[in-house]
Amino acid sequence: MIEDFYKLEPYALDKEQKNALITKELKELTKFHKEHCTHYANFLEAVGYDAEKVKKASDIPFFPVRLFKDYELLSIDKKDVFKTMTSSGTTGQAVSKIFVDKETAIMQQKVMVKILSNYWGSKRLPLLVIDTPAVLKDRRTFSARGAAILGLNVVARDMLYVLNDDMTLNVEALRTFLEKYKGQRFIIFGFTFLVWQHFYTELLKLDEKFDMSEAFLMTGGGWKKLESEKVSREEFKKRMTETCGIVHFLDHYGMVEQTGCIYAECECGHLHASNYSDVFIRDPKDFSPLGIGERGIIQVVSVLPHSYPGHALLTEDEGMILGEDDCPCGRNGKYIQIFGRLKNAEIRGCSDTYADKFR
Amino acid sequence: MQINSDELTFLTSGIQELENAPNTPALPMFSERAVAFLSALSSEILKDKRTRGFVDVTSYAYWIRKASLHAAMQKYADRDMRLGRGIALHIAPSNVPVNFAVSMTSSLLAGNITVVRVSDKPFEQVNIICDAVNKLFESDFADMKKYLIIIRYPHSERTTQELSSVCDIRIIWGGDRTIETIRAAKLPSRAIEMTFADRHSAAVINSDYYMEQDADSVAKGFYTDTYYTDQNACSSPRIVIWTGNSVEKAKERFWAALEKRVKSEYDMKPIQAVDKYTMFCALGMDRKGIKLVSHDNYILRTEVDKLTDDLMDFKQNSGYFMEYTAKDLSEIIPILGKRCQTISVLGIDKKDIVDIVMKNGVRGVDRVVPLGETMGLEFIWDGYKMIEAMTRLIYINEK
Repeated sequence: MIEDFYKLEPYALDKEQKNALITKELKELTKFHKEHCTHYANFLEAVGYDAEKVKKASDIPFFPVRLFKDYELLSIDKKDVFKTMTSSGTTGQAVSKIFVDKETAIMQQKVMVKILSNYWGSKRLPLLVIDTPAVLKDRRTFSARGAAILGLNVVARDMLYVLNDDMTLNVEALRTFLEKYKGQRFIIFGFTFLVWQHFYTELLKLDEKFDMSEAFLMTGGGWKKLESEKVSREEFKKRMTETCGIVHFLDHYGMVEQTGCIYAECECGHLHASNYSDVFIRDPKDFSPLGIGERGIIQVVSVLPHSYPGHALLTEDEGMILGEDDCPCGRNGKYIQIFGRLKNAEIRGCSDTYADKFR
Repeated sequence: MQINSDELTFLTSGIQELENAPNTPALPMFSERAVAFLSALSSEILKDKRTRGFVDVTSYAYWIRKASLHAAMQKYADRDMRLGRGIALHIAPSNVPVNFAVSMTSSLLAGNITVVRVSDKPFEQVNIICDAVNKLFESDFADMKKYLIIIRYPHSERTTQELSSVCDIRIIWGGDRTIETIRAAKLPSRAIEMTFADRHSAAVINSDYYMEQDADSVAKGFYTDTYYTDQNACSSPRIVIWTGNSVEKAKERFWAALEKRVKSEYDMKPIQAVDKYTMFCALGMDRKGIKLVSHDNYILRTEVDKLTDDLMDFKQNSGYFMEYTAKDLSEIIPILGKRCQTISVLGIDKKDIVDIVMKNGVRGVDRVVPLGETMGLEFIWDGYKMIEAMTRLIYINEK
């Protein structure tokens, strides 16, 4: 039961304890989804699932994350859908649809709060969003960005969108916010590229200098776009410190299909799996699990998805486990590094490829 | 001809030849000049050291050598009454480098002023062939310059429209979306169009016959049919149908022999493994009776217990095979729909397949070939006699 998890600090469990608890929970979820989602039951049958043979979390069959774009997958009555979360691809063509009921939504929020409070304390903090309110208004752009903001909104207070609809910086609003919370802890949240392009670059152009040394800069969305502009994450952090004094950074990895279970960055720059989720690196050759320091395809599990069969997923990202239970920050669990999306293959031949649909 | 050349890059010939194309006389079918030009092109390509690295360029060069063209010519008894339709506009596919040359070959033999748009993707194969063409244009074949204009241009509705407005026949190779995009450009009222759309193919193997064959040589042929083009050519089998009494033994032997070759020759990218697994799960989710039978990702095999007309919607490339055991050959009818192109066979009488097609009037199957030969270059493709289809026939009423 999820209550067993709530009693614990989110990074309390060591390898053995975690595997025991999470495997039991995931097996129950697999059984539940099998009984409530025909598509998922067929899938289990096709891969030859045998619950008896599951000894560890990595034995649970993993479901390809892309199929949430092709199929409406849910284990609840449609009338019990509380909200539908969508993630748009880069082109905005194919969209993942995740159906969340009240129960799952509450768990997502609760876990998000538990994970984040572990970093910046349990008090709700003021939130400065490096984005435009339009990201929520327009349903087509209500994407991973929108979902992340809404998720954070629950753990924060007094949220301010600091970009105008045309993505320009609202300096006036920023100044007022910073004066109001001078010397206090607050959160800045934005996708890395937006923070760089529409916040950092704009701040550079101003004559005045702002002090944000008390802020936690939480980022998401990956580093690929910045790296393509030859800005490394170290460079990014250095520049943010120079420009506005930010010293607390909290990057994260997560996906709309497993909302709530984010992999947050600790003081050592490592992304951590909490008790609520785990990550396995799969060998592309045969999907066998790889060890620490080996690069492969990221597979994730989460104990939160109750309304849709998203508890064990094969992502299309590449990553590596850096270590387990031994990060100098003191948190237990695996800590990982993300390399970004798997590279597209140049497929020969004359036919349309499946991947074309998603470009 | 009104054409804006800003967007055009000429790989052979130039704007002058293109602008004059409407006034250039068409040539007779199998004209002496076209045959001589292509035979010379064959030698020129084979002389190029770079050619050795490309099996597809080599096969192309052999296909157009003099003897091969003369043999093909004999098959057209009424060729003296046929000539090119005029300007043939070819839109070549982006992922099969030599295809443009195959298309232009039929077109030149038909007697057309051949305008070929090749893809933006840089392929050494395209360079080799175009360099050879240009060498011939600079020496003995300057007169052929106006008959072969190879161009490149970025996606542009305007240019496609300008070229389409003057053509007499348009040939489009590519996926459904490419065809849809190109078709937005209108054709003149008399012009005809040939489209080579997305197709899929199947292999049928008699297990008893297979057990008597050399496993490695069958694997080599099947590898060429599939992995050589990432199993994404129209002619690549996506499903294997087994017949006979030794199916289990044959499967084991067949896939083991293929696996050996795949592991030593095929460079599988991680995303291809994910793509294959994703498609398998989509199929497994969609219906009951699907079983994963492979043990790793190099060859992903899934057994199906029924052939249905929508099964091929779940096709995938890069080494993804559906498998079915048939007690009777006629069980394959559901997958012989419009999109089915080639049936490759081993130990099965080709006529038996043709019989099924004829008797049932299915919409697919344009080609039945031996397993291992699906990639062969031929003048008959997708149900068309290519050269003939690009000509027109003059009829004389002899009373």
